[in-house]
Amino acid sequence: MTQFVLAAVLGTLFALGTFLVLRRDVVRVVWGVTIISQSANVYLVTMGGLSGGVPVLGHGGHGGGHAVTDPLVQALVLTAIVIGFGTTAFALVLTYRVYQEHGTIDLLELGEKA
Amino acid sequence: MSEQFVVAPLLVALVTAIATLLTRRFGRVQVTLSLLGGVGYLGAVAWLVSKVDPLGATEVFSYQLSGWQAPFGITLVADSLSAFMLAFSAVIALAALVFSAAYVDSFGQRVSYHPLYHFMMVGVTGSFLTGDIFNLFVWFEVMLMSSYVLVVFYSGPEHTRAALQYVVLNLVGSAVMLLAIGGLYSTTGTLNMADLSRRVADPAAYGDFAIAPVLGLSALLFAVFALKAGLAPFQFWVPAAYRAAPAPVSAMLAGVVKKVGVYAIIRVYFTVFSAAALGDLSFPGLSVPDGGSALLAFYGPILFAMAGASIIVGGVGAVGRDDIDGLLAYSSIGQVGFIILPLAIAATATDESVRVLGVAAALVYALNHGFAKGLLFMASGAVYDAVGTEQFPDLGGLSETAPWLSGGFFVGALALIGIPPLSGFFGKMLVFDVAGRVESTLALAIALFGAILTIAYFSRAWNRGFWGEPSLLVEHSETKFTLVAVVVALALSIAVLGVGFDVVMRAAEAGAQAALDRQAYVEAVLGSGGGHA
Repeated sequence: MTQFVLAAVLGTLFALGTFLVLRRDVVRVVWGVTIISQSANVYLVTMGGLSGGVPVLGHGGHGGGHAVTDPLVQALVLTAIVIGFGTTAFALVLTYRVYQEHGTIDLLELGEKA
Repeated sequence: MSEQFVVAPLLVALVTAIATLLTRRFGRVQVTLSLLGGVGYLGAVAWLVSKVDPLGATEVFSYQLSGWQAPFGITLVADSLSAFMLAFSAVIALAALVFSAAYVDSFGQRVSYHPLYHFMMVGVTGSFLTGDIFNLFVWFEVMLMSSYVLVVFYSGPEHTRAALQYVVLNLVGSAVMLLAIGGLYSTTGTLNMADLSRRVADPAAYGDFAIAPVLGLSALLFAVFALKAGLAPFQFWVPAAYRAAPAPVSAMLAGVVKKVGVYAIIRVYFTVFSAAALGDLSFPGLSVPDGGSALLAFYGPILFAMAGASIIVGGVGAVGRDDIDGLLAYSSIGQVGFIILPLAIAATATDESVRVLGVAAALVYALNHGFAKGLLFMASGAVYDAVGTEQFPDLGGLSETAPWLSGGFFVGALALIGIPPLSGFFGKMLVFDVAGRVESTLALAIALFGAILTIAYFSRAWNRGFWGEPSLLVEHSETKFTLVAVVVALALSIAVLGVGFDVVMRAAEAGAQAALDRQAYVEAVLGSGGGHA
C-alpha cells in the first residue's frame, strides 16, 4: 500500500515540478527545480526498499530489530539534500540578481532582450 | 593495489582553494599562492602519471579512503585513462591560471576568483579519479557549483541571463542523475563502479536482477553526461555560457570541464557497462550489429547520431557568428562531435583493435581540442583586453598590431582544422582512420563536412579579425605581455605535441586499453581474491 501511495505522490510531485519549470516567472522556475530535486530525494529513499523496521542492525528497539532498512540510501539522500540547499540558495540569489539587472523576472521579456 | 599518490592532486587543489580563500585580504599573497597551487597541482598530477603510466607497463591503482575496503567504502581509482585526462587538464589549468592573474581585474581576483577556480579543479579531479557512481554526482556538483559562479562572474545583464539558463539546466540534470543512480542502486545493489561492472556482466551470480532496467537507467544517466559534454540535442546552453564567462574560464569550460562529460561517457559505458549482455531484448527500429547484443552496442547508433548532429549544428552555427567568442563556442559543439564520433564507432565495433583505436582517437582529439580551444578562448580574451571588443565588424588587421597574438590564434585555428605537424592533424587523421576501418561512408562524409566547415569558419574569422587594414580601435590597441606569452606558450606546446606525437599516441593507446580492460579495473578496485586492505 505504501508503495502505491508513494509512487502516486512522487509522480504528482515530478509533474508539478515540471509544470513549474516551464512557467515564465523565474521564481516559479526555481521552485520547480527545487521540487524536482526534492522528489528525486524522496525517490532515492524509496529505492532502498521500505520493508525494514530499523535502519541499523543492533539498534533493536523499534520494530523488533529483525528487518533492516538499507541505511546507505539515507546517507545518499543526506548528501543530496545538502547539495540541494546550496544550489537552491544560489538559484534564488541569482534570481534576485536577474531582477536587479533586468528589472523583470519574466522569462519572455528576458528572452526578447537577447 | 592501494597507493596514496592517487589522492594527491585532489588534496593539492583543495588545500590551494582553502589557502586562497583565507588569504583573500592580501591580494598579492593570494595570487602567488594560487599560482603556486597550480604548479603544485601539475606536479601532483605528474607524480600520479609517472606511477600509473610510465610508458610501458601500465597499472591500475586504487585508494580506499579511510581504509574502508571497496565496495563498501569510497574508492579513488587512477589508471591510464584518468591519468591521460588529468595530465592535459593540469597543463591547461595552469596556463589559464597564469592568464587569469593578468586578465581578471584585481578586485574580482581578490573577492572570489581564485578559490572558485581551484574548487572547480577539485571537482574536475574528483570526477576523473572517483570509482563510485554516487561520488561522481558529488564531484560533478562541486565542479558545477563553482562554474555557476564563474559564469555569472561579471554579473552584467547578459551574464545573469546566461547563468540562469546554465544553472536551471544543470539542476534539472542533477536531479535526473540522482534518479538514474538511485535506480541503478536499487536494481544492482551497488554504487561502486567496479562492483557494478562485475554485477551487470553476470546478473545471475548477484541476485539475478533484470538487465532491462539497467539499460533504461544507464540511458537516463547518458543524457546527463551528454548535457555536460554539450552534445547535440543538449547543446543549447553552451554558446551563452561560454560567451558570458571570463575568457580563461571559457577556456577551462571548453577545454577541461566539457571533457569531464566525455570522460564519464568513456568510463561508465566502455568500462562499467560494456560487458552487460542484453539477451533477447529488442528495440523496434534499432538493429544491434552482430556480435553484440551487448549494452555498449546499443549506444553505438545513439552516440553516432549525437556526434553527427553536433558536428553539423556546431559547424553551421559557427559560420554565421559575428563575434569571436560566439564562433568559438559553436565550434566547440562541433569539435565535441568529432570526439564522440570515433567513440560511436568503437561502441559497435567487434574488432578489438578498432575498438582501442576508436577510444584512442577520441582521447587524442580531446587533448587537441583542450589545448587548441583553450588557446583560442584565451587569445580571444587577449584581443578583448587589448581592443575592447570581439565583434568582427570592429576588428581587422590585428596581425599588424599584434603579430604574436595573431600568430597564436592562427596556430590554434590550424590545430583545430588539422594541419600537420600540429597535434590536431593526428586527431583528425585518427578519426578518419577509424571511420575508414569500419568502412562507414556516413561517418566519413560527416567528418569531411565538419572538417570543411571548420576551415570555413576559421578562415572567415582570420580574414575579418586579423587580416587586412587595422580598424580604428585596433590601431590604438595595446596587448599585455603576460596574456600574449600564455597564448604563444600554448601554441608552442601544440606544435611540440604534434612533433612528439609518438608519446601522445602511446599514452592515448594506454588510456584506451585501460578504458576497455574491465578485468584489470575490477581486480584493482576489489582485489583479485578480496579481503586485503
